[in-house]
This record gives sequence, C-alpha cells and structure tokens, in this order.
Amino acid sequence: MTPDKSDVLYGTLGLMIIKTLEAMGPLHGYRIARRIEQISGNQLALNQGTLYPALLKLEQAGWISSRWGESETGRRVRIYTLTRTGRRQLEKEEAQWQRAASIVERFFKISDDPS
Amino acid sequence: VKRAQALLKRLWALARVRQMDRDIDDEIASHLAEATDEYMQQGLCPEDARSAALRSFGGVTQTKEVYRQIRSFMWLEDLARDLRHALRMLRRSPGFTTVTVFTLALGIGANTAIFSLVHVLLWRELPVSDPGSLVQFTWQYPGDPPLNLFSTEQYEQFRDRNGVFSDLIGTAPIGLDPAAGGEPLQTEWVTGNYFDALGVRPALGRLLGPVDGAPGAPAVAVVSWTFWKNRFNLDPQILGTRISVGGVSARQAGSVAGVSAQVVGVAPQEFSGLMTGYRPDVWIPAAAHPNARQGGFMLMARLKDDVPIERARAEMRVLDRARIEELARNDPQWLEVTLEVESARSGFSTPLHQQFGRPLLMVMAIVGALLLLTCANIGGMLLARAAARQREMAVRVSLGASRSRVVRQVLAESLLLSVVGSLFGIVGAYLGANALVRIMTSGTRLIGAAPSLEVPIDAAVLLFTAGAAVFAAVLFGLAPAWTGFGSSPAPAMRVTGGTGQLRTRRVFGDGLVVAQVALSLVLLSVAGLYVGHLSGLRNRDLGFDRTSVLLVRLDTSRVPSGRDQLGQIYKELLGRFESIPGVRSATLSGMTPISGAAGSRFVSVEGFEEPPAARRRLMLNDVAPGYFETFGTSLIAGRDFQFADEGRARVAIVNQAMARHYFADRDPRGRQLLLEGDPRPYEVVGVAADAKYADLRSPAPPTVYLNAFQHSRLPSEFALRTSVPPATVVPDVQRIAGDVLNGASMVKVTTLTEQLDASIVPERLIAALSGFFGGVGVLLAAIGLYGLLAYTVARRTNEIGIRIALGATRQAVTRMVLTHALFLVCAGLAIGAMIAMSTRRIAASMLEGVSAEVLFPTVIAAVVTIGIALLAAYIPARRATRVEPLIALRAE
Repeated sequence: MTPDKSDVLYGTLGLMIIKTLEAMGPLHGYRIARRIEQISGNQLALNQGTLYPALLKLEQAGWISSRWGESETGRRVRIYTLTRTGRRQLEKEEAQWQRAASIVERFFKISDDPS
Repeated sequence: VKRAQALLKRLWALARVRQMDRDIDDEIASHLAEATDEYMQQGLCPEDARSAALRSFGGVTQTKEVYRQIRSFMWLEDLARDLRHALRMLRRSPGFTTVTVFTLALGIGANTAIFSLVHVLLWRELPVSDPGSLVQFTWQYPGDPPLNLFSTEQYEQFRDRNGVFSDLIGTAPIGLDPAAGGEPLQTEWVTGNYFDALGVRPALGRLLGPVDGAPGAPAVAVVSWTFWKNRFNLDPQILGTRISVGGVSARQAGSVAGVSAQVVGVAPQEFSGLMTGYRPDVWIPAAAHPNARQGGFMLMARLKDDVPIERARAEMRVLDRARIEELARNDPQWLEVTLEVESARSGFSTPLHQQFGRPLLMVMAIVGALLLLTCANIGGMLLARAAARQREMAVRVSLGASRSRVVRQVLAESLLLSVVGSLFGIVGAYLGANALVRIMTSGTRLIGAAPSLEVPIDAAVLLFTAGAAVFAAVLFGLAPAWTGFGSSPAPAMRVTGGTGQLRTRRVFGDGLVVAQVALSLVLLSVAGLYVGHLSGLRNRDLGFDRTSVLLVRLDTSRVPSGRDQLGQIYKELLGRFESIPGVRSATLSGMTPISGAAGSRFVSVEGFEEPPAARRRLMLNDVAPGYFETFGTSLIAGRDFQFADEGRARVAIVNQAMARHYFADRDPRGRQLLLEGDPRPYEVVGVAADAKYADLRSPAPPTVYLNAFQHSRLPSEFALRTSVPPATVVPDVQRIAGDVLNGASMVKVTTLTEQLDASIVPERLIAALSGFFGGVGVLLAAIGLYGLLAYTVARRTNEIGIRIALGATRQAVTRMVLTHALFLVCAGLAIGAMIAMSTRRIAASMLEGVSAEVLFPTVIAAVVTIGIALLAAYIPARRATRVEPLIALRAE
C-alpha cells in the first residue's frame, strides 16, 4: 500500500505528530498523545490508540524513525524522532497548509463582506 | 526511493511479524502504564486510574488490528491484485504469453540445469566437519594425466613423518566387488581413522576406529544408509550380521577368498563417501583386505589449525623427494614429477572434475549470456506491448493511480511470466541435467566402476533458479516499467494514430536489438570455436581411417587351449572373419587406436646415443598381419608382418616419427632395435605412417609395432574393416567366434568411430551445447529484430503512407526499413565482435588444445547473423511497401 497522501498530508493527525516531534524533539507515544491533547486545549477527543497506526504510517514513509529507550519513569518505551526527510516534508506541508488555510480564510472573508 | 523504502520496510516487517507483534504489545502496555501513573498522580485510586487510561486509549484490540493491517498485509493484497490483473492481461494475448514463457523456460531452465551440475560436481562441500581444512594429494608423470594413487609405504611415511596434518586417511579406489550371493557391492577399503578424521557420526551402531585398522584385527564393516535402507529396510538387526565381499575381482587371475566382515554400524544418511559420482555401499578397514599391502591408496588429510596449504605442499614435496630420486635413477623423467596438495573441500577430484569442470564453467557462462539475450528479447516485446498500452496507462494515471502503482503492475506482469517460465524451466532442467550426466559418464573409462552422478534439484538449485527468475523479471521488466514511469497522461491521450513515439523508448528498443545481435554473435563465435575444434579432432591428422571399423574384444581367459593352439585358432578365426560378406580385412592387436590404453618402453637403437634425461618412452603395439590395412594406416616403406614370421627372427615396424628421431634421414629397414629389459633385438622391416595412438588430443607419438604372433601372449582385440555398415556383420562375428573358440565371450563390441567419440566426450558436449545455444541465440535475435521492425512499421504506417503519397518509391520505403535493420545489426556485430575478441582466450583455455583463433568463427558467425537478420527484416519491409496511402491516412 502506498501511504495514502490525503491521510498524511491533509489528515491532521500525522501533521500534528511531526509538528510535535519538531517542537519537542524525540518523544515516546504517550508523551506525543498528551502533548497533542494539551496543545488542543483538551478540546480534541483523541482516542490515544489511533496514534499508533499513524506513527507506523509515518515511519513507513520514512518521515520519522523509532528506537527503544527509557521513559522518565524508567519504562521501556519506543521513542520517535523526526528524520531529515520528515523535517523537509514538514516544511512543505506547513507551506501547503498555510496556503490552503489562507484560501479558505479568504472565502470566509468574501462571504463576510457586505458588498 | 521513499516508496521503495516503504516497500522494503513492509517486506522486512512481514519477515519478522512475531517480533513486531511483541513490540506493539509492549509499546501499548507501557503507554497504559504511563497513563495510569498520571491519573494516579491526579489522585485516582489504582483501579480507577487504570480504567481511565484504557478509556482514553480507545480499543486496544482494534488498535492492534489496524496496526497489523497497515504493517504488512496491505502490500500482499496489492500484490495479489497486481498478479490477478497481470494474469488477465497475459491471458488476453496467448500467443505472446506462450512464446515468452517458452523462451524464458529455455533460458532459465538451461541455467538451472548447468548450475545444478556445476553445483554437484564442483561446489558442493562434503558433509563432514570443517571440509575446508581437507586436502588431497596428486602427482603427475610428464605426459600423463594426474594420478592420486599412492603406495601403502608412501601412506605410512607421510602419516608418520609429516608435521602439518592432524590426520591422514587412505582410501582405496572404489571397485565393484562380487558379494557372496547377491548383487555386487561398491566397497571402499579405508584406513581405520577414516571416520574419526572426517568427523562423521554414526546413524546406528559405531563407525570404524583405529583399532579396526590394526593388522590382524577382526574384519568389521560399516554400511551406507542407502544400503541399510535398500537391503535391510532400516532394520536395526543389521548390526552383527556378516557381509562377504570378494577381495579381488573374479576376472583377475588368482582370485582370493572373499572377506567376511561383521557389520558394526551405519553411516549417516548424508554421507556417501569422498568421491562425487561414487556411492560406496560398505566401508571395510583396508587391513582386512587379503592383499592389504599391495593396493594403493588415495590420500586425504586434514590440515592442522593455522597451517596454510602452501606449507603443507612444500613439506610433502620434501618428504617425497627421496623416493623420486630413487626412481629417477632408472628414468630421469621422474625428476619432473611433483607432488600436488590441493583442497578437498568438495571431495576427491575425479576424472569427471578434471574433464568437465572447466567446460561446464564455460557452458555456465554461455547459458548466462543466453539468459541476458532472452531478457533483452522479452524486454523488447514488452516494450512494444507497453507502447500499445500507453493509452491504458495514461488513463490509469490520469484517474489517479500513482506512477509507482503503474510501474509495479508492469513488474508484476514480468514477474508472473518469469515465475511460470521458471516452473517449466525447472522441469526441463531436471531432465536436461540427467541427460547431460548420462553423456558425461559415457566416456572412455579404463578402470573402476562407472560413476553414477545424481543431480538433485535441491534447495541451493531452487534458490539459484528463484534468483535467476527475479533477476530476469527485473531485467526485462525494466524497459517497459521505466517508460511506464515516464508516461505523462496528456501527450499519450492526445495522440491517436500513434506517431508520437517517445524518443527514449525508440532508443531503448533499438538498444535491446543491438544487445541481442551482439550477444548472439558472441555465442555463435564461441560455438564456432568449439565446433571447429571438435571437427578438427575427429578428422584431421588421425593417421588411420575411422569409418567402417568394427572392434571386438574376446575374453579368452576361460579357453583351455595353450599358446600354440590359440595361435592356430586365432589364425582360423581371422580367416573366417575375412570370409564374412562385407568384411574386407580382419586383424588383432594389443591396443586399438584411441582406446585410452597405452603400452610404452624405452627403446635403444645401435649407433644412436642420447643423454639419459632426453630419453622418452616409445609407444608399443603388438599387431597381427593386416593391421595397417584394416585401420587404413599406410605403409610408407618395407613390408607388413606375416604369419610366417612366427618362430623366425623378431621383426618390428616403426612409424615415421620414430624413424625421424632415431634414424634421421637414413632408411631404417634392416636396422636393429632393443627394448628395455629384453636382450633379443628386433629388425626393422617397415615404416608406417604416423597415427594417433592413445589420445586424439596429442599428436602421433613415436611408435614401434611388433608382430603379435612372435610373442608368447596373444592379444585379443579384434578389428574388422567392412565395406558395409559395421553393425551388420556383428551376428556373423558372434556366430564364428562361438564356433571356433569354445567358451570365449565377446566382452566389447564397438566401432572405431564410437571409440573415438567416447574419448572426446567433453569436446562433444561443449560443442553440442554451445552450438545449440548459439543457434537459439541467433534465432532469438532474429525474432527480436523482426518484432522491433514490425512494430516500427506498424507505428509509422501513416508516415509511410504520406511518403508514398508524396511520391516515394516502394524501393525507397524498403530501403528505409532495411537500412534501419542493417544499422542495428552492424552496431550489434561490432560490439559482439569486440566482446568475442576480448574473451577468446578465456573461451579457448576452457578446453585443452583449443586455439584462441576466433577471427574465422566470428566472421562466419557474422555472415550467418546478417543473413538471418535480413530474412527477419524482409517481412516488415515488404509490409511497409504494401502500405496504401489512402487507407493509412484515413486511419489518422
């Protein structure tokens, strides 16, 4: 299977994950989940479990890599790191996202315009 | 690259599914533990914290399920879908599929067959512990093939005085021994340390130990697993039973009483002795042999740790020196004898290795080139198909299929073709390899049992075939896949008639044809080299006429007559043979040409001196009157032998090579010569033309013929020259032999031509195989060229239509197509000729005596290739001239 582009590019979870890793550096799964929940102000009803398939897809695409390590509490956990490809990809995605967002924004502005 | 990476990762994932299952379990477990901790810090009791963690996680099982799906199964589904699609596409064009599968089956099958032979004969290691440290010993007398037989004294000397081996074992060459009441047994007489040194463990009971090898020890035997299965049905009661084998072949005079040995164990199933092609039934300590000290040993030793083979070789040569110097006192040529110590990783080197090792490697290279050619051929065809399906691809791409999906689908198609081709190829390879083995083992053999080589299609062979199949699929799928990758939807959709051929694709297609022509030229010129060599061996400078000679060997050992009676009987026999209608003359002799056997002695001639080191033995042959006439060797001067010479002064006939050396330009007739160890002189009465003697490959040696009827022992090789096909007189010969010689049996009936052919099996094999594959190669290249031109003409139909409409003549159109063809062929020939020239030395070195002169075979091959190529180009060229401008333009 090819990683479904719409899943990763526009599916926000993947983007959130790599953005999180960019901001925070290497993290294990639970920390990523908590971080996403915190940033979204706990407004996002995230099933933490859905994180793992998303992480796997990102890893298969080569955007992140993983290794086994230890958590702050001394547990054996898998720690995910953004790869160079992932970093480049993130820049692209961000730009695209900005563009897409600005287009949508403009639409809202136009419809808001009374003229 | 990224996609390839993802694909690789998934493949990897499939390979270690279990590990990854454990990994995700661990990962989720620690996730839940972390979450529980956090909830507990928030003040929840452990149970509540745990369930809160589970709640926020969602379904654990579901997650694992989704995870697993993403991880590995999706690509399998994709593959299945690709294969289904490929199967549909292939079924839609059965003609193309059949041709391709057949071609591939041939290419991959040929590679598999040759690989399986090379694997069994050269590469497979002995199933013993650390086969890499085993070495074997050979020595070579100048002019003779290498021998690996050593005396018992040598064995003992080497064993006791070397400092480089941890073990030295001796084993007598395997012979068929008549067993008491039953089928003959293949017995290997070995030294007591045989199994210990090899590190072989018993399947049942015990193996031989040093105690059993001591002189006077009770005779014990270890049987092979196959023997245990076939004769005892794996019954453990075999231990303790007695096996009787005759010590010496019954045909040899003075046969001794058999040995009765008690079975003490069974060797493991995978162990079948140390010689490829021979599977001993039973191992018995050589000390138990009735003539224990007379037989020779083949030697195998295990190097001590850290002793390099060079050091072992040097030390053994020093050890053997004293013996060689002793022998050199009588025969200075012994000084040139050197001991060789070589790796025995895959067992004793046998005549099969020596004769067929290098030719088989050459054939391996040939079939490898053929596989490349096959790939280029199929690649070309797929390319044309891909072009025809360009619109289909374009539609798929524009509907949203990713490029890599399209490429992967093209590759799935080639993989499917390749796998189906390989399956047929494996069947063909199995049959082919065994047919080759029958040919290989059909050659001249002077001593010992016939080798029986089993060529299993085992894991190594299957692995090789799978590798070849994937390699081929990628190679021939590459061209269409690559162009598929570059297929951008817009232009492809726009083009209707198909004039817009991608430039890369055209160059690619042309390149594939050039490659095919080049490879076929290389194959043909190599074939020419070997076929030319073979025909030279068979026909040039033989010195005798090989056609229409029947050879019959009689076994007279049970005829009770004395020498004088036998002489009378033989004379009568020859007379009766000559009276058979269709028989021109009959004779008998000690040796017949190219039987492999030879007799030689030092000869001295009065008044001829030479330094001892320059002395060479001369070939001898005891012949009856009529020998020269029967074999078609002309007498240059003097007279033939006569029956009347019997009882008179001894006479000899020499050949020209002998006369040149010993008598220079003077007439040898009337001169005397002496044989080493024989005080009575022979008078030369005639000079015969030079004729090859024991071996077709070496030039006619200096030879002395003696009159068989002047000797106390009469030879019994009869030869008849016939004017009818030799086989037709066999019944008469049989009847007469039975009448005249009561109790004689015909041991061997053959023709001289067959005897010649049996001596040059490697040459025949490599000539036949290279010729066959060369023919296949040129045929494939022709098909490839035809396919490309036919496709080009079809694609350019409207261009040609326009040209004709604008006034181009039909000749001009034909010329256009043929020029294209000729350009491709010449480019291919130029490249092929360069390859042929640069590899000619390697090709020639693979077979003794082949000259590296490839210019002539290459020119012949080039002419053949051009002829066939023009023939292949003719049909599309004609089709081009038939283009009707109106119809062509209407199609636009």
